Amino acid sequence: MTDALNADHITKVFGGLTAVDDVSLHVGEKELVALIGPNGAGKTTFFNCLTGVGPATTGTVKIGGQEVKKNTKAYKVAQMGISRTFQNIRLFSKLSVLENVLIALTNHYKENFLTAVLRLPAYYKTEEAMEERAKELLKDFDLEDVMYFPAGSLPYGTQRRVEIVRALATEPKIICLDEPAAGMNPEETADLTRLIKRLQTEYGIAVLLIEHDMSLVMNLAERIYVLAEGKLLAKGTPSEIQNDEAVINAYLGGGADV
Amino acid sequence: MKKNWKYNLCWLILMVAGFYLINTLMLAGVINTFIENMLVTIGINIILAVGLNLVIGFSGQFSLGHAGFMALGAYATGIMTQTMNTAGGFYLSILVGVVISIVVALLVGIPTLRLHGDYFAIATMGAAEIIRIVINNMKITNGAAGLFNIPQFATWDVVYIFVCLTTIVTVNFIHSRDGRAVISIRENEIAAEAMGVNTTKWKLSAFVLGAATAAIAGSLYASYLQTIVPSTFGIMESINILIFVVLGGLGSITGTFVATTLLGVLDAALQSLGVLRMVFYAVALIIIMIFKPGGLFGKWEFSFKRLLTKKQDGDMKEAGKESK
Repeated sequence: MTDALNADHITKVFGGLTAVDDVSLHVGEKELVALIGPNGAGKTTFFNCLTGVGPATTGTVKIGGQEVKKNTKAYKVAQMGISRTFQNIRLFSKLSVLENVLIALTNHYKENFLTAVLRLPAYYKTEEAMEERAKELLKDFDLEDVMYFPAGSLPYGTQRRVEIVRALATEPKIICLDEPAAGMNPEETADLTRLIKRLQTEYGIAVLLIEHDMSLVMNLAERIYVLAEGKLLAKGTPSEIQNDEAVINAYLGGGADV
Repeated sequence: MKKNWKYNLCWLILMVAGFYLINTLMLAGVINTFIENMLVTIGINIILAVGLNLVIGFSGQFSLGHAGFMALGAYATGIMTQTMNTAGGFYLSILVGVVISIVVALLVGIPTLRLHGDYFAIATMGAAEIIRIVINNMKITNGAAGLFNIPQFATWDVVYIFVCLTTIVTVNFIHSRDGRAVISIRENEIAAEAMGVNTTKWKLSAFVLGAATAAIAGSLYASYLQTIVPSTFGIMESINILIFVVLGGLGSITGTFVATTLLGVLDAALQSLGVLRMVFYAVALIIIMIFKPGGLFGKWEFSFKRLLTKKQDGDMKEAGKESK
């Protein structure tokens, strides 16, 4: 069984500041792992190292057992099987929800310039197949009612859902969710919890989750990594983390009820 | 696929009808040389503006060098048809113009498409100036004096057909997998990359396709006017094309058509006013920009499909889907 994600000794330096310091993390196949830590701990920076947006200064990343070579562009890293959502939602907000998902399918369907421009039967066939696949996914996540609406016009919680479905559409081995519950009410958070669980159980995709909402993390995660000031503070199961002296001091703030 | 032939047929009928309308009016003598001249100018401008809209409106790369690619096409035709004075030679010269401008677009695009916004605009403007200055100083192009007596192969009907062809290619490109990838870059480049979209490649393809259509327009321009000088293809021409695009709406091909036609007619109608014409023209532009800052049509696209399916899903937005 190959791990979905292996990050070894990742260090990221910005000028004189070491934002991420020698952090190793692995996510097994179909595993749900959370990464927590106080603000400024380097969680998002670490995410950017994994997804190739801001490559690590030193350290190696393997996706599905395949090593990401130095200077691989972000889109190539994405094609290797890592998909993500963003802390501040980045949908194609003026395009419809359906188009958002269709764009995520880009690399899974071949269409050449000539068949598209000349509208040969092959074009209609691919378009139909793509649309069918996109609609299937949207239906699966109860988004079919809004699929023709511009993504930016939807309520915040729904936009989050669209972003996750879009990430899922790229057929990744692992999805990285950057604070998916930020700004959500308890009801929406409960929905989100079920949704994330489904990624793992129904789609067999590993999930790496950054989150501040402790109820979500403790409910979902099989293992938790704790980051503080760029360093790995602790790792373990939720119950281990909840009883870890160092974590309680650094993050949960002594005697927090989680 | 079967449900789409209806809409495609509608477009075909529209194109053929337009052709016959102009043809009949021409035979009836309603369209005189002045109006014909106006129509051809509008046609060439539409080709240019549609191509530029692909680059600016759809891929979101602000290019100010469109006239440079037009010059490449114009000079390819101007030079070649003087020795190959046949229709075949003319079409070959269009092809040569397109190939040259594709090569130049690649050379310009690969280094400059890393730049964003204003920086890209300045870089493309510079590239267009380089093209113009090179033409200005070469022997084969007859320097600043330009080329005369270029044989006229581009009559109004040739221009009409090329307007249809380039528009079909551009619109079909936009409404394909590739086109969606291009649009996703405009919408959010970082998200597009996270979805595995090769942003450099798609930006470059939109830029190259735009350049190729500009070269076609240049060829038609040279062959219709029979005279070309390098100074025509300066920054002002690029800005003129930009005006059509912005006025019609960035990201609306329908808008580009309407805006180009409207301004073409306005320009011809004000012809008698002499220099004052430019003042009226400018005032019209300012008024439209004040009341319609997103352009006349924004991103709205005319679609037979929407017209014929009669909105069965309430107020669902089929936003410009399958307009051809």
